[in-house]
Amino acid sequence: MRKAAELRGSSEGFLETDWDTALDCASKALAYIMRRYGPSSIAFTIQVPGTGYMNKGALMRLASLFGWSSMHAYPLNGDLPTFWAPTFGVQSEELETLEYLNSRLILIFGSNFTVTRTMSSRMLILARERGAKIIVVDMNYASVSNIADEFIPINPATDAALALGIVHILIRDKLYNEEFIKTFTDMPLLVRLDTMKRLRAEEVKELSSKAKELKAKIPAYRDLFVSIDKNGRLIIIDPRRLDLIDPVTNERYDPVLEGEYEVELVDGKRIKVKPVFQLLKELVFRDYTPDKVAKIISPKPEWVSKYVNIIERLARDIATLKPVAIIYGASNWQWYNGDLKGRALSLLVALTGNIGRPGSGISTYAGVYKIRWPMWSWWGYDKPLTMIRGTPSMRRPKWLNWSVFLNYEYRQSEEWRKYRSTEVPWPDQGVRALLIQWWNPFDQHNKALILTKKAKRDHPEPLDFIMTTEIQWTTSVEYSDIVLPAAAWFEKYELVSTPIHPYLSITQPAHDPLFDSMPEIWIFKEIAVRTSKIISEEWSDDEVKRILGLSKDELVKMAQMYYPDPDLQRQEDEARRSGRWSLSLARELANKASEKAIEILLEDGRNVTWAEGLNVNLTEGITLEELKKRPVRIKLPTPGNRQIPFWSQINLRVPFPNASFPHPISATGRFVKSGRIEFYKDEDVFIDLGETLPVHKDPFEESLYKWFPEDKGRYMFVYLTENSLYRVHSTHSNNAMMLALQDYQPKIYMNPETADRLGLKTWDYVEVYNRFGRVRGYLITDPSVHPNVIIFVQGWWRRYTDGTHYNSPNYPWIKPTEIIYFTPGVWEVNTKWNNTLVNIRKIES
Amino acid sequence: MPRYVMIIDLNKCTGCRTCMVACAMKNGLPPGIFWTTVEWTPIAGVIQADRRSTGNYPYTPMTPVHNICNHCDNPPCVKVCPVGATYKREDGLVLIDYERCIGCRYCMSACPYGVRTFLWEDPEKTLEDAIRRTRSSNPYKAGENKMAEPDYVYGDPVEYRDKGRLVHKSVLRLKRGIVTKCTWCVERIDKGLKPVCVEVCVGRARIFGDLDDPNSEVSQILSRKNAVRRLEHLGTEPRVYYIPKTNWPKVLE
Repeated sequence: MRKAAELRGSSEGFLETDWDTALDCASKALAYIMRRYGPSSIAFTIQVPGTGYMNKGALMRLASLFGWSSMHAYPLNGDLPTFWAPTFGVQSEELETLEYLNSRLILIFGSNFTVTRTMSSRMLILARERGAKIIVVDMNYASVSNIADEFIPINPATDAALALGIVHILIRDKLYNEEFIKTFTDMPLLVRLDTMKRLRAEEVKELSSKAKELKAKIPAYRDLFVSIDKNGRLIIIDPRRLDLIDPVTNERYDPVLEGEYEVELVDGKRIKVKPVFQLLKELVFRDYTPDKVAKIISPKPEWVSKYVNIIERLARDIATLKPVAIIYGASNWQWYNGDLKGRALSLLVALTGNIGRPGSGISTYAGVYKIRWPMWSWWGYDKPLTMIRGTPSMRRPKWLNWSVFLNYEYRQSEEWRKYRSTEVPWPDQGVRALLIQWWNPFDQHNKALILTKKAKRDHPEPLDFIMTTEIQWTTSVEYSDIVLPAAAWFEKYELVSTPIHPYLSITQPAHDPLFDSMPEIWIFKEIAVRTSKIISEEWSDDEVKRILGLSKDELVKMAQMYYPDPDLQRQEDEARRSGRWSLSLARELANKASEKAIEILLEDGRNVTWAEGLNVNLTEGITLEELKKRPVRIKLPTPGNRQIPFWSQINLRVPFPNASFPHPISATGRFVKSGRIEFYKDEDVFIDLGETLPVHKDPFEESLYKWFPEDKGRYMFVYLTENSLYRVHSTHSNNAMMLALQDYQPKIYMNPETADRLGLKTWDYVEVYNRFGRVRGYLITDPSVHPNVIIFVQGWWRRYTDGTHYNSPNYPWIKPTEIIYFTPGVWEVNTKWNNTLVNIRKIES
Repeated sequence: MPRYVMIIDLNKCTGCRTCMVACAMKNGLPPGIFWTTVEWTPIAGVIQADRRSTGNYPYTPMTPVHNICNHCDNPPCVKVCPVGATYKREDGLVLIDYERCIGCRYCMSACPYGVRTFLWEDPEKTLEDAIRRTRSSNPYKAGENKMAEPDYVYGDPVEYRDKGRLVHKSVLRLKRGIVTKCTWCVERIDKGLKPVCVEVCVGRARIFGDLDDPNSEVSQILSRKNAVRRLEHLGTEPRVYYIPKTNWPKVLE
């Protein structure tokens, strides 16, 4: 516990105390903040739930009880690829790496797979040995290039241009899969040229009455769009099925993909329309000819002609070497226009029919974010009177977006007022408390040092209370008021899965927790009980009802039922009363509660809505006892339980999307109202930005240069915070062995020709800086780095960089397309780590 | 009697260094000492950087360079050892009896591969120095009275003797003044297991086995692939075979 908030930012002023004192103090602070500012002003994240459904769920359960604001870790970490929701209607999907053995062409766009997916890179090596061609497209010769057949260097953030150049060839030479795009994508949908919106069936004179009838039969989140067949007949596209059957006549039709047509509306007005495919064709024929694209992507003007040939060859490879798998790397989408790149890359697999089949598709591998099924029985909170799992009355946390939290300036802007949906949450009285656990935000997420400023009260929205639950003494601990010691991985039970491999596994206690540390499930149980007690004693009945929506009696009862087996909680209470309580007894009961919670979680997976009209049992036959022996494959609804994205859509013809858990289909189905893969987006913001179809844009024009026009031409280098081989982000930054592997020195990498030009050389002590912040390290010149790029290998805590900070040059940019909906972890503002320009200078001393 | 050899296929190495770290963890090597190393093509003056390449952008192919004791058939280190601490077993393993070694370091001079490490100080002190270099600022760093296991250090805690000779012990539990090196995990081999670096190799680039067995994986590979050994002209007859890297990507062709 810290004696005074003024001492935040150092190891000074901490008082070592016992659990009772620390927990009582924390509970008092939390109750005070809820009473004064409301529960939603307490913000937290559970950082990548896949690494701990049970203990991370324990905090969600606590937050559900009180209504705190959960910041979804997926966009917070920059891991959310924002093209998925508008294109496929999902959070994200990935091919399991075992499927690479079925691929014939693997295209890696900006993903250093051998470093960031070290163990899985074996599958790439095996795939290559079996004859797959591996092509790496990257601004730098990243180490994954070493196990590839071809490395294609391109300028930073120009992948969309390259993809659209390839699309140009695919369309020009008719190398696309016509049947596939007519059946599964929005390519045949008609777009009104007067409004640039997609034509709705109810707007069309001859379809309007039928459309009204059909509308009653489809879910509210769907819409009826229109195509035109070869005979000039207008057809309603049925969002309930993925085939070419006219829902009015039940006859098969063949939609046109090209041309311009005239349609009469209900009001008699005649308008011009074109299929999406036609608009795409016009776009790529106009702006993305191989010549134009080569000029955009080529790092040096003298190589342009080589790139023209490469684009032609890539198009032919993609059209003929099937199946094609695309790996789209996180460092590539963590840009202002990362969504556009993803949408453009998706075109490559959609146009060639490389979706839903073994060894094919586009995959994004970042974060252990994935919730394999809804987990509200443990994560939510039933009222004691109902106790029906998963009922709508269940209490759940509120939500908040990290970039929205950080970016105070944007929330004052006209753009925010214009585009922000009322869905995008912001607590009435702002965020007053930050709970930190399983992460180190003061190093890893401290964009433009905003978090430091909030902690130091040097910000319009200061933080009153910061509490950290940790296994080690991190930088974030030094900014906290209360630090609670948590048990580490093999000192407790945990249920674990990853998005990349469809397996469940558990960790089990290999030994007792060290010192006084405790499993999180116990810590959060104690906070639930103690905070409820304080509230019931100090607040009036009306206050409890108004602020928490519960009676005092309900609140206390619910806190007493925090453990999944309330009897365990009673046993601990009884031991306290009789003086038999000990740390080891509390741990023993917490372990039993953990096992029970895992069983409840497994139970939740037994009946899951996978997609529209498709219910599955994902945990069929999986028991805690079996998991104690070995990892078990999740029962995915595919042959052999293989993880092949959109297998159900392509093979069972179930409409897009798959459910993105824990959300119901209705929350995400609205992103692809046609039930198909959508490349044309007609929400106003897409029209305003000229992004109805995927395009290439300079990522700084609408971010840095728009908000700070004076910075145009001021900063010369793209700043890339590359993942380290030696740690998981900033975890293990203080590990002696990992530090020894790096000479104990943070390093900054730069192309030697660029360094020569600036008069810099290897081992110079340098500072990388911009208007937002700066970081120091030792310069290593390395010809594998693009001439306009500076790389800082991330993870170093501030004490290794002279107090400077590698994420301080970054800024929490918000793109208006990200705030027109809010579905946590699916459609949200994503952190854009790499959308950063910097300069570099030598530090003399 | 088997004739053990190791093959390192540089086409399969991803440069991840899992072998280095697993070896160090299992053998209790203090930070900074590695019995096997993997470096990308070196840039002059940079030690242990995690990315490095040569050439001019974008033509910058990288070659992983592995170093490990070659367990030579004609080992100069054995010949120069004045006390018989370094010896060669019939199956080819070159080992050091830690109880016999007097720390004269003749073996280090004799070894042309630079794979031996002298313990200039007690390894525990090396570890303490390394921990100090982490610049921990925790004011409540665990005192001795609070450590769950006061004597705990990482590394295999069990010693192993080969016919009475102490050939395997966590280096962190050894004292200064002796020479150490890779044992090819003798205690594992004698149980029928593979060396730990082979077991953990992500790309399956390291292969270990009996060259006298024509059906072994190593025999099969060496019968059909071109492999080289380091400094063969010195006549040391090393038992580590390298398959040279030839599968670099094409760039702008």
